[in-house]
Amino acid sequence: MSVTAPPGDTVARVATERTDRRVELLLGALASAILVLIAAMIVFVFAKAWPSFSHNGLAWFGPGGNVDDQLGQIFNSPANPAAYEYTLHAWPLLYATLLTTGGAVLIGLTFALLSAVFIVEFAPPGLRRVLQPVVRLLAAVPSVIYGLIGILVIVPFVGNHLISEARRKSVAYVVQLSGTSLLVAVLILTVMITPIMIAIIVDALRTVPRSWTEGAAALGVNRWRVMWTITVRAARPAIVAAAVLATARALGEAIMLSMVSGSVGFAPNPLDGLTVLFEPVRPLAATIVDNAEGLSVKPFGQTIYAFAAILLVSSFFLSFAGWVAKQPLKRYGTRS
Amino acid sequence: MQRTSVTAALALGGAALAIAPATAAARPTISMSGSTSVAPLAAKLAKGYLRARPGAASFRLAQGGSDIGVADVARGRVTIGNSSRDPKPTDPGGLVFNKIARDAICISTNRGNRLSGVSQATVRAIFGGKVRDWSQVPGSNIRGPIDVIVRTAASGTQDAFQKIFLDKTKVTSTAAQKASNGLVAQSIRSDPRAVGYVSLAFTKGLNDARYQGVGCTLRNAKSGQYLGTRNFWMVTRGPARGAAAQFIRWIQRTAAAARIIATGWVPLR
Repeated sequence: MSVTAPPGDTVARVATERTDRRVELLLGALASAILVLIAAMIVFVFAKAWPSFSHNGLAWFGPGGNVDDQLGQIFNSPANPAAYEYTLHAWPLLYATLLTTGGAVLIGLTFALLSAVFIVEFAPPGLRRVLQPVVRLLAAVPSVIYGLIGILVIVPFVGNHLISEARRKSVAYVVQLSGTSLLVAVLILTVMITPIMIAIIVDALRTVPRSWTEGAAALGVNRWRVMWTITVRAARPAIVAAAVLATARALGEAIMLSMVSGSVGFAPNPLDGLTVLFEPVRPLAATIVDNAEGLSVKPFGQTIYAFAAILLVSSFFLSFAGWVAKQPLKRYGTRS
Repeated sequence: MQRTSVTAALALGGAALAIAPATAAARPTISMSGSTSVAPLAAKLAKGYLRARPGAASFRLAQGGSDIGVADVARGRVTIGNSSRDPKPTDPGGLVFNKIARDAICISTNRGNRLSGVSQATVRAIFGGKVRDWSQVPGSNIRGPIDVIVRTAASGTQDAFQKIFLDKTKVTSTAAQKASNGLVAQSIRSDPRAVGYVSLAFTKGLNDARYQGVGCTLRNAKSGQYLGTRNFWMVTRGPARGAAAQFIRWIQRTAAAARIIATGWVPLR
């Protein structure tokens, strides 16, 4: 279809069709290039990571020994490739990733949903005009800034004021409680991922047709019930999408967690009660950042790539799980 | 080797800075990468070299960590790899480690803990996890559990600390491992119960624990009284050749270079 070509001018029409065809091919090539890039990345990371997985088998994912000692031994492997050390039981790191990501997403999602409902339905217009840009701004703050605030303000505060001498002594032979802890990691991670969720959920709640909510209001239902039974219900696929996006950000967060989460490959023990909150953890992504200096030692580099492979696979599973979760919700939704 | 171009992006503080305007085409270029501890010294030396022999070479300096420097020079990416750790058995063959200076590693505590004069046995007991409460440490004026802070396994400073201070003693598994000198210093500054070790250049705002009763100062390190010193290396692939050889020889032999090194490090002569 051409606007400029006069009707009946076949030469011009053919030329336009050719241009369309060229654009189609060009864009198609670009889109395919992304697929090729992703495939190449997966193959590359797994090829690099393979020796670490094949040496340990399923024990790679299990507990056993001290993970930092094992990393140290891998780093100090002898020069002979046949004698490379690979033994690793990465459970503390996986567990730390689950705890920080899970904790932050659960708390963040609750908070984001309530805030979004407030912004869309209950906030006075003046406040809404301030809140929305602020939320979007917060969503774009680089994580290293959160890390700096964490290490300069929150970690010393927790270490010097919230952890009692008795609590510190009770676990002194197992772990040091210095303020860098699960609590701070989850807290800052929550602050980091909540704005994104609020922004997405607010947009989703807005797209619910006015007629649906007006119909309910006409039947005498109050605003709070309309919100929960109609608007939020209809927006559920978008809420799942927000949670998936936030989980992905939390999963991959490295710099901030490396700064505030404790720098020890320790698996917090739930039996310790409240003390668990103050115990240090080190998630996978933070471990990669902390140890990037040793990439040139072959078996150590391969182990680091194994961590990367786990993160890559989890993000795929995450997208897939999000897609699966959205399917039954779709028929209520306003978005496909 | 596992080193890819991704590594450079991963390495924290991997900022490159150009020292001399690379205008003259005939001028040989000396490129360096590696240890963040050596980098400030290397930059000063390069400037001094150009002042002494204008136009002799142009320099490019990047950082990334000792292991990055060793790997880069082994693959021919740079002329000189800077390393703050001694040669390791896993290093690629054919590398020559040229010693350029010495640096002191200081045992440090929070200002609130006026620990002074720790013996080698005490250091080993604390970092090995045998002693876990400050009340058991002679010379300490605080009580309560000790927070031990060390560097990650891949760090050149950790390697040096293990060899010089601990020998066969293993670092306790409860120790927090930080990724850089700056993070260790920050952790000690904000935690009254902490003890750790940093390169001499990072001791501002910390209490010097005076290893074996000798203050961790430049003067004591130079005189040889302070025992916690390590080597700084410039690594080349095979014996240094051409402009790089002249540069390293200038660092090792001339009084001008020794004066530059002496501003914050220990010259070899």
